[in-house]
Amino acid sequence: MLSISNLHAAYGKVEVLHGISLEVPKGKVVTLIGSNGAGKTTTMRAISGMIKPVSGTVMLGGKDITGLDSHRISRAGLAHSPEGRRVFSTMSVNDNLMLGAFPRLTGSRPKGDVNADLEKAMELFPRLKERRTQLAGTLSGGEQQMLAMARAVMLNPDVILLDEPSMGLAPILVDEVFRIIRNLKERGVTMLLVEQFAAAALNVADHGYVLENGRIAVSGPAEKLRDDPAVKAAYLGG
Amino acid sequence: MEILLQLLFSGIALGMIYAVIAFGYQLTFATSGTLNFGQGEALMLGALVGLSLVSTIHGGPYLNFWLMIPVVMVFGALQGAVVEWIGVRPAIKAKSEFGWIMSTIALAIIFKNVAENIWGKDDLTFPSPVSATPFHVFGANVQLMQVLVVIGAIAMMLAVELFNRKSIYGKAVVATSNDPDAAGLMGINTGMVITFSYALSSATAAFAGVLVAPLTLTGATMGTSLGLKAFAVAIIGGLTSGMGAVVGGLILGISETLTGFYVSTGYKEVPGLVLLLLVLAIKPAGLFGKAAIKKV
Ligand SMILES: Nc1ncnc2c1ncn2[C@@H]1O[C@H](COP(=O)(O)OP(=O)(O)OP(=O)(O)O)[C@@H](O)[C@H]1O
Ligand SMILES: [Mg+2]
Repeated sequence: MLSISNLHAAYGKVEVLHGISLEVPKGKVVTLIGSNGAGKTTTMRAISGMIKPVSGTVMLGGKDITGLDSHRISRAGLAHSPEGRRVFSTMSVNDNLMLGAFPRLTGSRPKGDVNADLEKAMELFPRLKERRTQLAGTLSGGEQQMLAMARAVMLNPDVILLDEPSMGLAPILVDEVFRIIRNLKERGVTMLLVEQFAAAALNVADHGYVLENGRIAVSGPAEKLRDDPAVKAAYLGG
Repeated sequence: MEILLQLLFSGIALGMIYAVIAFGYQLTFATSGTLNFGQGEALMLGALVGLSLVSTIHGGPYLNFWLMIPVVMVFGALQGAVVEWIGVRPAIKAKSEFGWIMSTIALAIIFKNVAENIWGKDDLTFPSPVSATPFHVFGANVQLMQVLVVIGAIAMMLAVELFNRKSIYGKAVVATSNDPDAAGLMGINTGMVITFSYALSSATAAFAGVLVAPLTLTGATMGTSLGLKAFAVAIIGGLTSGMGAVVGGLILGISETLTGFYVSTGYKEVPGLVLLLLVLAIKPAGLFGKAAIKKV
């Protein structure tokens, strides 16, 4: 579904990604793990158009989306829940969710039943249900994270990129985030997941890639990576 | 007493004009962090194009006053889009922090020169669409046009507010002001939103131009001081608050008419501008503002 080959990306003149290739097959969950500064967020940004890749290709369902503006990539069916949540703080929870469906509401993606999907999102993210009219900026960190994920789901996308959905959350909320990811997976949603909790990420994922200094160091089926001694030592706490 | 009341009424009408122009400054600031320093010239062009449409100076009249308003607003929108396209977009692309200041001022001067060539340097009279004979409210004289200015200004601001709150496109504008990168991820073309905000802002100014023109003299220089004073209002009220624009506009409008009558017309602008200096010193974000001018 999502296919990246030989992706290079830079901030200014400093190259951060030195040729990344990865595959996210339809209906699968793929996780990208790596230490701080390895380039996980940069990879996601280069995929979704937040930054322009220097070279390489990004294909979404057979369509070349390399270097397109982020709004075009979103309309092509890729949702990105970015690092740091980035909810629209002066707007209500409902409005944030409607904006997630912006391409559907404005004719650049099949509309489907947006209202029904809104109700489904409320079922999936019960914390948002009783806060529909609350301003997003006044939500707790955990609630904002739920909103950022729900907003991505509202696109009805072909692929969702989730960048550290559990960042800064209390353990009980981390569990809830992973429960939701599992739930989405059961519904057949294709996802690329970046997580600091590598063990948990490899548990839910089908496939994993380990990123080191802007290069893929190891990759393989998730259960293989879980048992890989080097991966264990470096990312799974021994 | 009647005189005081009458001055208050004139001050309110003038203040609402300032408020609408200040509101226009806020529209572009919200989406792009930039301001159109040619806002006053957008107003002037609106008034003069309107004048050509409703009077005989260019072989007209072609339209009556009411039908002319939407045409002038479309003209204003196009003019604003041109300003954004030529003056602002390149500066934003180049991440130039001050480029847009230079280019919007330069475009303003060009628009003024063009207007002087088309409509001349002398002030013209704009025919009033309604009876200019004043009526009496508590003994004070009020012109119907003054009432229309207030109603029109409020209607314009409410319409934009309603659009922002209720329509999905308006929500896209608000989302872009919140976080342009995240808005892009929602499929919102934020470059288009910025162009739109310039178009809307100039359309608003052009609308203010045809509202104020029947009450003042109309000419190529009419916009400069209005634009500058409305800028003061936008700063006094805060660049992020529509309410601030209204309150700031009323403060400046009323203080101007009162000082003009009770002190001297030569000093009429002083109190309002002193207030601006005070606000800047005490509360740089403005009376109702949340944040000071942020970086581009
Ligand atoms: N906006 C930026 N400008 C310049 N350099 C940046 C920027 N964002 C990230 N970098 C640099 O790029 C490299 C990769 O950063 P990136 O954010 O992709 O890492 P990450 O794997 O997501 O890390 P983390 O786990 O901390 O989120 C780092 O060296 C970082 O300093
Ligand atoms: Mg990161």
